[in-house]
Amino acid sequence: MNNNNKFDLDYFVSDASFKNWAKGLNKNDIAYWNNWIQNNPTHIETVENAKSVIIGINFNQQKPSNEMVNEALAKVLPKIKLEPTPKKILKKTQTVNSSLLTAAAAVLLILISWTSYSFLNNETTTIHKTNYGEIIDLQLPDGTSVVLNGNSEIWYEKDNPRLINLKGEAYFKVKSIPSTNAKFWVITEDLKVEVLGTQFHVNTRKQKTNVVLDEGSIHLELKNGEVTKMIPGEMVSFSNESKELTHKKVDIETPYALWRGGTYAFNGIPLKEVMFNLETTYGLEVEYKTEDLKNLPISGGIPNQNLQICIAAIEKATGTRIIKKGKILRIQENPIY
Amino acid sequence: MELHSDETIWYFFKKGESHGFSLLFKKYYPQLHVYGLKLSNSPEITEDCLQNFFIQLFESREKLGHINSLKAYLFVSFKRRLIKQLQKNQNNIPISEAQLIKTNFTFSSEEISINQEIQFLCTSTLASLINQLSPRQKEVIYLKYYSGMNSSDIAEVMDMNYQSVLNTLQKALSKLRKLSENQQIKSILKKN
Repeated sequence: MNNNNKFDLDYFVSDASFKNWAKGLNKNDIAYWNNWIQNNPTHIETVENAKSVIIGINFNQQKPSNEMVNEALAKVLPKIKLEPTPKKILKKTQTVNSSLLTAAAAVLLILISWTSYSFLNNETTTIHKTNYGEIIDLQLPDGTSVVLNGNSEIWYEKDNPRLINLKGEAYFKVKSIPSTNAKFWVITEDLKVEVLGTQFHVNTRKQKTNVVLDEGSIHLELKNGEVTKMIPGEMVSFSNESKELTHKKVDIETPYALWRGGTYAFNGIPLKEVMFNLETTYGLEVEYKTEDLKNLPISGGIPNQNLQICIAAIEKATGTRIIKKGKILRIQENPIY
Repeated sequence: MELHSDETIWYFFKKGESHGFSLLFKKYYPQLHVYGLKLSNSPEITEDCLQNFFIQLFESREKLGHINSLKAYLFVSFKRRLIKQLQKNQNNIPISEAQLIKTNFTFSSEEISINQEIQFLCTSTLASLINQLSPRQKEVIYLKYYSGMNSSDIAEVMDMNYQSVLNTLQKALSKLRKLSENQQIKSILKKN
């Protein structure tokens, strides 16, 4: 095989590590390709061309607004013959669901008021709330255990401890009650999670709700009545912006922060995602000296129960300097690296 | 993160329920709208044609065979439909796609992001440089960087093979690089 033919445009353009070099993203990739180019000067033109193909041109897309799209959709829908939507909920649970939904709405209402007027917090509601950086292990009356991450809260009615409202991030290990087949619900702003015995993780930050299922099987029900079933190992996200659900298989590539056990586990996640976790758990604000810093990838475990150790670990992992001034973390390049 | 995958959307769309239709519509109406506007230069014709396109797509959903890439399929079939409509509006005088792109397909400075690799050029200069490219080059640049399409989908939409897509892209960009270098030299000379 002629070795020179191998290094065509396609070879470079489809190479993930080369893409990183072109965008100046990963230190190892940059070093590797700089070195490669020095040793292969004959390919410099193809390399330059491939680089400009990858970088391309940044456009601001002038898309029609959401209102325009919805208006157009409203015009089109009456003109087509739709099939009736089958109800995907089992009949038995349907009645329970609707009554519970009202209950949930009531609880939610109480708690919206509670946040502003704490005296309304009466004996019928139990609330657990964590401060920034605090993680608590809880045992609910029915035996379910909950790990509540920092800056989060759950609340439930005393007479219904299997209907939990959540704000923030929590991990649930639900106690199954086989004799009665009693279900367990977690209600967030966006959706309702219906559970038999299982283990799962719910995160409602960042304008979206993520649910990760470790074991068992659960149903998610959206505010609009859409129901979806989850299988173990799957992450379902509901985006507040687009009002849509996505299913994704959780694997080592998925940016799903395993914070329980006091460690965040990351796998090539950009620094800004990692810092977002810190911002929400510790109530901090992060500033970046340059835009490039935001995309530095982080892999490995970062301890999160002590801010100082956490920052030191992130500095090491990314080769940056992080300066803490009050509630602000300033990130800059470390000249030593 | 990508919301519903195209496979899921297409599956629900083919089932014919309103949920599936809305999903497809909301995801692709905006993208096709921009594309149609670029081809036709007319919001009225684009919107009319696009809405009818979705209706017809829905009605023929059961007859459609296997689709490799939903995005490419929608772009190709919408483009065909739109060109037919434009021809009708001009008393059925045939319009060539290249001619259409040459006259209508332009970029404005608002569409160019300031954050560019070619930093020394202002957005209006870069827009006018892109507008000087050949119709094929403009379209390939548009599909790749504006619509974020992958090269094999572009090959399908533009009816060319994968390798020619890459070559066209490369030629377009190196032409842009040269044009922008000339522009830079000119502007330096002007200052003196």
